[in-house]
Amino acid sequence: MAPLVEIENLRKEFGNVRALDGVSFRVEAGEWIAIMGPSGSGKTTLINILGGLDTPTSGRAIVDGIDVARLDEGGLTRFRAEKIGFVFQQFYLVPYLTALENVMLAQYFHSTTDEQEARIELERVGLSDRVDHLPGELSGGEQQRVAVARALINQPKLILADEPTGNLDEANEQIVLRLLGELHAEGHTILMVTHAPEIGQLADRRIDLAHGRLARSPTVSR
Amino acid sequence: MFLRLLWRSMRGSRGRMAVALLAVISGATVISALLDLEFDIERQLTQEFRLLGANVVISRAGSAQALAPWQPSSEIPGSPSLMDQVPVLAQIERMPTKDVVALAPLLYIVAHIRDTPVVVAGTWLDQTRGLNPTWKIEGHWVSSRDEEAECLIGRQVARQFSVAPGTLLEMHYRERSAQVRVAGVFDAGGTEDSQIFVNLPVVQKLAQTSGDNQIEVVLMSIRGTSTAIGRYTQQLAAALPGYAVRPIQAVSRAEGNLLDRTRLLIALMVVLILVLTALCVLATMAALAMERRKDVGLMKALGGSISRIVALFLAEVGTLGAAGGLIGSIGGIVLARWMGHRVFNASVNARWDVFPLTIALMVGVALAGALPLRLLGKVKPAVILRGE
Repeated sequence: MAPLVEIENLRKEFGNVRALDGVSFRVEAGEWIAIMGPSGSGKTTLINILGGLDTPTSGRAIVDGIDVARLDEGGLTRFRAEKIGFVFQQFYLVPYLTALENVMLAQYFHSTTDEQEARIELERVGLSDRVDHLPGELSGGEQQRVAVARALINQPKLILADEPTGNLDEANEQIVLRLLGELHAEGHTILMVTHAPEIGQLADRRIDLAHGRLARSPTVSR
Repeated sequence: MFLRLLWRSMRGSRGRMAVALLAVISGATVISALLDLEFDIERQLTQEFRLLGANVVISRAGSAQALAPWQPSSEIPGSPSLMDQVPVLAQIERMPTKDVVALAPLLYIVAHIRDTPVVVAGTWLDQTRGLNPTWKIEGHWVSSRDEEAECLIGRQVARQFSVAPGTLLEMHYRERSAQVRVAGVFDAGGTEDSQIFVNLPVVQKLAQTSGDNQIEVVLMSIRGTSTAIGRYTQQLAAALPGYAVRPIQAVSRAEGNLLDRTRLLIALMVVLILVLTALCVLATMAALAMERRKDVGLMKALGGSISRIVALFLAEVGTLGAAGGLIGSIGGIVLARWMGHRVFNASVNARWDVFPLTIALMVGVALAGALPLRLLGKVKPAVILRGE
């Protein structure tokens, strides 16, 4: 069976800076991968290329059989809408939309909206009583749970989480990590960028990056 | 969801939107008022110019009356300038009459009152007010063209003979005489102030013109633009061969020139206001585009196509233009009425077709002012999400 993600000799340069320098690895469907490394090691660049937010300078990045490097602007847009669920460190909710509408926004860009489905997703992340609140009225943990619900609403093939607990207190961190664990248990494929080794240990495997290269072969964490 | 997003995003930026809306409303109010004036200016100016009185004169061809219709041309009877009133008036009656404000034949004689010569004009006194709307009168107008016992006299005549409304005047012409009572003393501010106006039969009987139907000139006041008046004049001239039918050029030309200049001025002001409104919207939208960069980056990251995202922003701007145009159109009615009273001392009619035109102009201006939003198409989600 073909891997869900296949990276081959991936390079990304920003002017003279080489953010990724020949990275190659594979991710099977249903895996939870922790991408780790110091700041500037290329973690976010890798996630952005896999999510179709950025394009590589060379190499291949295949997700669910699609080579992201070969997609044009329109193709990347459809790819992001249909294949990827993003969870960002800064939450990135639209401030003038309620929790429910933020989730429905992803539905709207994917195909058609279904308010009931969006409510169920928010209920799943424990926010059934906060659906009509604006992001400014929610705590950091609640905002991140809205972001998780938004990432899941279109049942993406791949969930990309960039430091999902980086802005949360410990209690909310545990809630979000438990949610990610549940998603993994349900069979979702997750690539999670993190600095924290204890969070990295929760994943099936760790991929360590240093200076845009794999620091060591992907290892099994548990 | 589109309408929900539209409503939320407009509410989310209500401060900036309010500023842009205010600019659009202000622009739409002035533009709507100017358009109301533009469409109504012809009627207003036409009415204003009709206050100047007669604008068409009919006389025998070659007669000096065509050039100076308010002056007696020669001694009567047998003057070559005389014409029979019957065919002329009959032909005028056959013409469309809806734009004829007033018309009257005129026959002048120089009669004597207390041995002093004075010009007496025989006319239809019931038409005098319509032909001379600027005259100020002391006493009353004469409402019948058959009343042979009353007259209107100019203020200089009244002063010369020390007469007032109610005074009986005896006029002598050759061996004949007539008695008339002064109904009113008028102030025309011109040569007419030295004349006496009586109904036409009085002068015709004094002059004993052949057939009792002789007149020198017919004066008409026609409603309409100078073009319409010219057209009417041509049709009447074609129907009256042997007669000179001419518009009084000074009035027609002045009217045409003023109309053209006023329209040009209004058009220039409309363009200027459209540009200023667009600039104001442009400044607001440039600020809004900067403010929304992060939201747009996020929407793109979530799979939002640029066409869908831009459609949302354009709908916002279009709604802004339509709402501002609608409110401004209503404000424009009030402003147009106020300007009408101040400038023309008359009400300006609001026209319903100005509503869609103003709204369309404002939507167009708002969309033109939304040019900075095209920058949103260049937003790179990865760059925005990195916080750059």
